[in-house]
Amino acid sequence: MTLAVELRSITKRFGSFVANEAVSLAVRRGSIHAIIGENGAGKTTLMNVLFGLLQPDEGEILIDGQPTQFANPAAAIAAGIGMVHQHFKLVPSLTVAENVFLGMEIVKGGLIDHAAQIERTAELSRRFGLKVDPTERVGLLSVGIEQRIEILKVLARGARTIILDEPTAVLTPQESRDLFETLRGFVAQGMTVLFISHHLEEVMEVSDTVTVLRHGREVATKPTSELTKSDLVQMMVGRLVSFDRRPRPPVAGAPVLAVDDLWARDDRGLHALRGVSFDVRAGEIVGIAGVAGNGQTELAEVLSGLRPATHGAVSLSGRPLAGLSPRAIRAAGVGHVPGDRLVRGVDRNASVSLNLLMGRQDRAPWSRHGVIDRSYLAAQSKKLIERFDIRTRSAETPVKSLSGGNIQKVVLAREFSGDARVLLVDQPTRGVDIGATEQIHSEIMRQRGEGKAILLISVQLDELIALADRILVMFAGRIMGDVDGGAVSEERLGLMMAGVDADGHAVKREAVA
Amino acid sequence: MIDRLSPYLGQMIAIGIALALGAVVILTVNESPWKVFVTLLDGAFGNPERIAGTLLQTTPILVCGIAACISLRGGLFNIGIEGQLFVGGFAATWVGFSFAMPHALHVLVGLGFAALMGMAWIAIPAFFRARYNTNEVVSTILANYVAVLATSYLTINVFKRAGGAPDTPPILESAYLPQIFSYSRANWGLFIGIALAVGVWLFFTRTARGYAVTEMGANPKFAEYGGIDIKKQTFVLLLVSGAVGGLAGGIESLGVHHRFMEGFAPGFGFDGVIAALLANGNPIGTIGTALFFGALRSGSLLLEVDTTASREIITVIQALIILAVSAQIVIRRRPSDSSAGERRWKF
Repeated sequence: MTLAVELRSITKRFGSFVANEAVSLAVRRGSIHAIIGENGAGKTTLMNVLFGLLQPDEGEILIDGQPTQFANPAAAIAAGIGMVHQHFKLVPSLTVAENVFLGMEIVKGGLIDHAAQIERTAELSRRFGLKVDPTERVGLLSVGIEQRIEILKVLARGARTIILDEPTAVLTPQESRDLFETLRGFVAQGMTVLFISHHLEEVMEVSDTVTVLRHGREVATKPTSELTKSDLVQMMVGRLVSFDRRPRPPVAGAPVLAVDDLWARDDRGLHALRGVSFDVRAGEIVGIAGVAGNGQTELAEVLSGLRPATHGAVSLSGRPLAGLSPRAIRAAGVGHVPGDRLVRGVDRNASVSLNLLMGRQDRAPWSRHGVIDRSYLAAQSKKLIERFDIRTRSAETPVKSLSGGNIQKVVLAREFSGDARVLLVDQPTRGVDIGATEQIHSEIMRQRGEGKAILLISVQLDELIALADRILVMFAGRIMGDVDGGAVSEERLGLMMAGVDADGHAVKREAVA
Repeated sequence: MIDRLSPYLGQMIAIGIALALGAVVILTVNESPWKVFVTLLDGAFGNPERIAGTLLQTTPILVCGIAACISLRGGLFNIGIEGQLFVGGFAATWVGFSFAMPHALHVLVGLGFAALMGMAWIAIPAFFRARYNTNEVVSTILANYVAVLATSYLTINVFKRAGGAPDTPPILESAYLPQIFSYSRANWGLFIGIALAVGVWLFFTRTARGYAVTEMGANPKFAEYGGIDIKKQTFVLLLVSGAVGGLAGGIESLGVHHRFMEGFAPGFGFDGVIAALLANGNPIGTIGTALFFGALRSGSLLLEVDTTASREIITVIQALIILAVSAQIVIRRRPSDSSAGERRWKF
């Protein structure tokens, strides 16, 4: 058994924070090795150490049995290691082939040899089954294809070991499946794949070996065949959690939120919503599924008054909401947990208590005669911190020093503690670890129990299946279908997310407004 | 403790670097930096008259600084305070010499009209910023030139005293802002400035509206999401900032000059902006930084008498402070922090 990569007790500290503590990793040549762990478990740090982006404080790196030190990524690339980052770094105005060879252009007579670059890209594309058109401009391509280009870039640089950081986060289930196919092709040709994920299903499906990290330490390394999903969860969080569908009484309430033929444009002026209609009843969770960027965020923004609708009607218990200001919509009883919580949901530099104040600062008892009642604010903050289990040193701690999950709990505490009857909840657990995710899910179910009408937007299907009474699938600004959350397969949702409607007809994405 | 001090540490380092570089400049004109600094201190605080002189210079810088703090708190940059000061100064003078009124009333009407005209002067930039997101830095700077030239035109062509210097008739004594000391023109404007500083600080830290302004400055997207009317608040905040700028001009004409003339104020508006930036936009801190710049200005008068250094050395030091402070603002906004709307000015 030969090892492609071996890390020996790597320790990496950032100030007093230990990101990796004596982590060892042995990766067999020709295998797919998954590294799994909650957010902040140290997965990306470990890979950045291997790729030469970070220098370890202690420990050794061995490549093909040889001790090595990578001062920078260029050195790692020279040693046959390639990394596909979570966020792509492509130039939209250049073609696929130009992007693949960016920085290492094939030159003939002082000029770029476009023909050779295109031919070489096509050859790599054929050999590894990564379908692309080398002459197309990257700006016109989908995220799935962009990822293929990133992988081709790595292959063109002669990588034998490829690191992928959360590669499926942006993909549809079908695209993910294609990716896994490609990865299996790599190992069949003797290459090695290191694959970071926090998605259990994927790890079970594609990897040969799994290493679990928790709080910067290695918990276990085992062949995937010897593990079950619940073993993995237990190792990741240190205890058992359930992502099963939550039990619930049937929905009995009357429709509260009604949306009828809603149209809206995105920031570029293109139609992001194309005639969306649905109802949400009291005590019901309606899930919106879809690959990010199919109009979900715009939908939440229109419903909360942050984006104008170009056509259509929205009403809350019969009262029209379309065209009202965010303030009036809040006052009418709509709470909003925004998808981009660090941008819209909080002021990161302000204290927890000042973040809890937003939206009601000019209402009694939070303020009287325009003066904020600081003792009431302090008492309420304390209550909400306890009630929502926000892990913070005090109510005066700036939000930015909290973890992602606790920042989200601040947003939930604020939006769920008002007198809202409708809750717009956008990506409630994006970037949140499993422990906090479970708490957030329980809180959403509790709001359902209190009779709130909840619109839950998520790109995570397991979250929707666990929580939603009905799931609407959005694709290219339209609703592709309305399915019962209790009786749907991820398979079927995945097809709808990719634009195949309930009758099996593919819907074309329209590029013009 | 370190945490509490750290926002100001940068400021102190900035002043330190500026003074050190200033010392190098002084050396190049063959003068002893130590002697220059001692002379500056002596000139600013050496005797009661000199202290009064320092307070006289501090007053307009402080009031202009508060005007700057008000806009900075909401993430806006009113750099047209100099122009608002000119317009306000002219407006108060006009009230002062055109009408006869009982004393207290005359002062109040004069200052009120000055504030109103300062507000009017920023109204157009404020409207364009609120409605069309036009950069207020550019539009308020441009309004400065118009203000200086328009008041100059009115002074020379409309209100000039026959045969006299290019200035307006003097205001009536009923419009005089009372002096603090018998031997100096330092006046009650200083108390107005201090009261404004405290009032503005309380407003921003204690009231619901102040919270809304603060969050608009810290993260406008968060404020918008929370239901705060950004456009309206931007417009109103700039108007208030302009009103305080106009008030600074009113204080200068009713308290110091008792008339309006060309070159009415030598850059007090800009000094106020720098004082506010150096205080990180904190109005209480601005009392201290305004005193610092006031002392530099009044100390520099003695500089030319007692040393071979020119008074302009003060301008050099001020410029160095601006450089050091802006460098430190740039350093503090490292790219790693740029992901979300960052609070620009801390209290």
